[in-house]
Amino acid sequence: MKKQIISALLASVMVLSFSACSGGNGGNAGSGTSAGGAKTTIEVWTNDRHDLDYVNSEIQKFNSSNPDNIQIHQTVITDDYVNMLSMAKSSGTAPDIAGISGSIGIDMNAFADTKMVLPLNDYIKKAGADFQKVTESDDHIYEGVNAVNGQVYWVPTVVRSGTRMIYNMDLVKKATGSTTLPTTLPEMVSLAKKITQKGAGQYYGFATTKDAPFVRCFEGIAEMAGQNRYGYDYVNGKFDFSGFKPIVEEFNKLFTDKSVLPGSPSQGVDAMRAQFANGKIGIWGNASQEAGVFTEQFPVKNFEWKVAELPTMDGKVQGALTIQPEKGYAIMSTTKHADQAWKVIELFSSKDFLKGYLEKGYGLPFSKEMTAAVDTSKTGRISDFALKDYESVYPAAPSITIEGEDMQKVLWSAVMGQRNVDTAIQDLNTRYNKALDSDVASGKVKRLVIKDFDPLHPSKGTLQYLDK
Amino acid sequence: MKLFQKKHASLEDEGKASAWLMLLPSIFLLVITSVYPFIWLFRYICYDYNGYTAYFTGAHNFYHMLSDGIFWGSVVHTFEYAGLKLIFIIPVSFLLAALLSQKILGSSLFRAIYFMPTVISTAVYSLIFGFIFAVFNGSLNSILSLMGLIHSPVDWLGNPKIVMISIIIVALWGGLGNYMILFISGMGSISTDVYESSKIDGANGIQTFFHITLPMLSPVIKVILMLAITTAFKDYESILVLTNGGPNNRSQVMFTYIYQLIFSSNVTPQIGYATMLSVVAALIIGVVTVAYLILARKLDDVM
Repeated sequence: MKKQIISALLASVMVLSFSACSGGNGGNAGSGTSAGGAKTTIEVWTNDRHDLDYVNSEIQKFNSSNPDNIQIHQTVITDDYVNMLSMAKSSGTAPDIAGISGSIGIDMNAFADTKMVLPLNDYIKKAGADFQKVTESDDHIYEGVNAVNGQVYWVPTVVRSGTRMIYNMDLVKKATGSTTLPTTLPEMVSLAKKITQKGAGQYYGFATTKDAPFVRCFEGIAEMAGQNRYGYDYVNGKFDFSGFKPIVEEFNKLFTDKSVLPGSPSQGVDAMRAQFANGKIGIWGNASQEAGVFTEQFPVKNFEWKVAELPTMDGKVQGALTIQPEKGYAIMSTTKHADQAWKVIELFSSKDFLKGYLEKGYGLPFSKEMTAAVDTSKTGRISDFALKDYESVYPAAPSITIEGEDMQKVLWSAVMGQRNVDTAIQDLNTRYNKALDSDVASGKVKRLVIKDFDPLHPSKGTLQYLDK
Repeated sequence: MKLFQKKHASLEDEGKASAWLMLLPSIFLLVITSVYPFIWLFRYICYDYNGYTAYFTGAHNFYHMLSDGIFWGSVVHTFEYAGLKLIFIIPVSFLLAALLSQKILGSSLFRAIYFMPTVISTAVYSLIFGFIFAVFNGSLNSILSLMGLIHSPVDWLGNPKIVMISIIIVALWGGLGNYMILFISGMGSISTDVYESSKIDGANGIQTFFHITLPMLSPVIKVILMLAITTAFKDYESILVLTNGGPNNRSQVMFTYIYQLIFSSNVTPQIGYATMLSVVAALIIGVVTVAYLILARKLDDVM
């Protein structure tokens, strides 16, 4: 009898575990109509967690009031988002809509080539003047970022500023006796040295991190010196990293001067933000997300912090600084409810939704209409990161498969003095161009050439995709 | 007689059928979660696959692997890591087990304390160790300088010369308790009669340890060693969190490199090449394990 009970128990456990296995993805299993057949559920995936409170409350409002009986179900996926999307697509569990931002590293050309997502041009055309005014969708077409060959796959609604330098003004004053901030990179390096000397081991001039140190400010300074951040030469359609040399050398001085917070290259970005908020770092570089970080996540209480433009090499801006178009939504090609999905995108791109969103300080407005609509007294410190006229979006460089270490890793290790800058650049030029040639030859990517490329207006040129 | 045979045969058939029926769930899971991914893996060895489209590249991945300095560097680091970890973790956990299997006051409390890291997530304790190892205001450096052992802060994770030692320290802390418990349970299975008779013969503690505990544990030690070797070669979680293979690839082991090839966000995923490398890595670990098993059998013959 006892045995029977045990085996019955075991059997039920097994059945339960099986049903658990099969039901694991049930929540994300895409869309469907509910029992009554009247309501359509639109599954939305996003990898933004920071704005959930606001977005969820707006979704709730929409779900209870929209006349089309659409129910939005949003799932947040923050880890490995792009891979998850492509895996979901191939296993038939893709959502109807995928939230996309310029900063998440989607290879839009591959997305379009493999027909992961639907082009939105027809919907945009039909959407009317209001949509156009709020999003300026006709002006925000960026090849390889949100569009491929003129087909638009997602419309950005907000923008993340390019990187800025953030200064601890108390430490600047202590070190220099003034509040004047550096405008060139050599001046910034020397300020970092002065702060460090004044700090005598208590605080330091500069800090980096192990989490993508390349993009925090180094990349932006290189762009403003005219060196493309991908290392891509659009005019000649090949890679050329030589413009990085002076910036690498100047940044290396931060390390040889010992102006960098010791150990910061092996610490996570949040640990360093906490150190900045704690008054241990004089100069910190990052983009507009830092507005929320230093007011909410690690609020700065004991000193004044100021946001300033990136320093240039010689006082002149020679190339546009990259901004990230964000918060757009693509319709996955597997959806059965494309029209309803577009209605959801219209909600997320509506003036009311965006006004509330922007006034919470989650991002910067990306159209004149929204810039005028937002009450900046409500947005907090994000207004310090307002867009500059030299900021723009570059067409994405061909996404090639390189052998060995990527450019960010190689150049940053040259910055840290772990390898010679000349050999590093030579190595990158050789490997990247070899990979580009072989990927173009195999038909995997096309060579992008923009003969009339203007580094100050990178999105304005005439694009050509070449097969060789 | 015939009737009996028939009945026997039908019973046997029934037994077979129910055996298969009972095996079915586990076979099903094995095929789905183990065999299928393995075949899937082999499919992409000859492809350049970015997650969307696979491009056939023939033997290119193989040649690339042969000339990939970072990969072979990571193989060397894997051996270095595994060797250092095993040299320390096995004797120390054995010693701890020998001490804590005695019936002394508080031994179960200490067992629990040493075992604790095994149940904590590797990512979590590695993150905490990251703070402990911090150069600026890190607690390890403060303690060492208070004790007068160091004069300037040590860059535990950023200095290529000592980064491996720091990683080994975390690995020891994380794995010690696990092997200790295995040894303790092995020791518990040795019959007390043997100890009693050796006591009557006048053996002291050290003699008992070397002539009774150690030889009688040898089958258990063999299994534990094999587990420890395969685990040590496959460890990468804590390295990923602590250094991500840095500085300048000094702590790059095979699996951190493979992970980065697929999941690193600023390059195109190289799933085909990473697949090639994981097959090679599996072969390397397989060879090491087989070599160990042969060696262990030889040792058995000698003993």
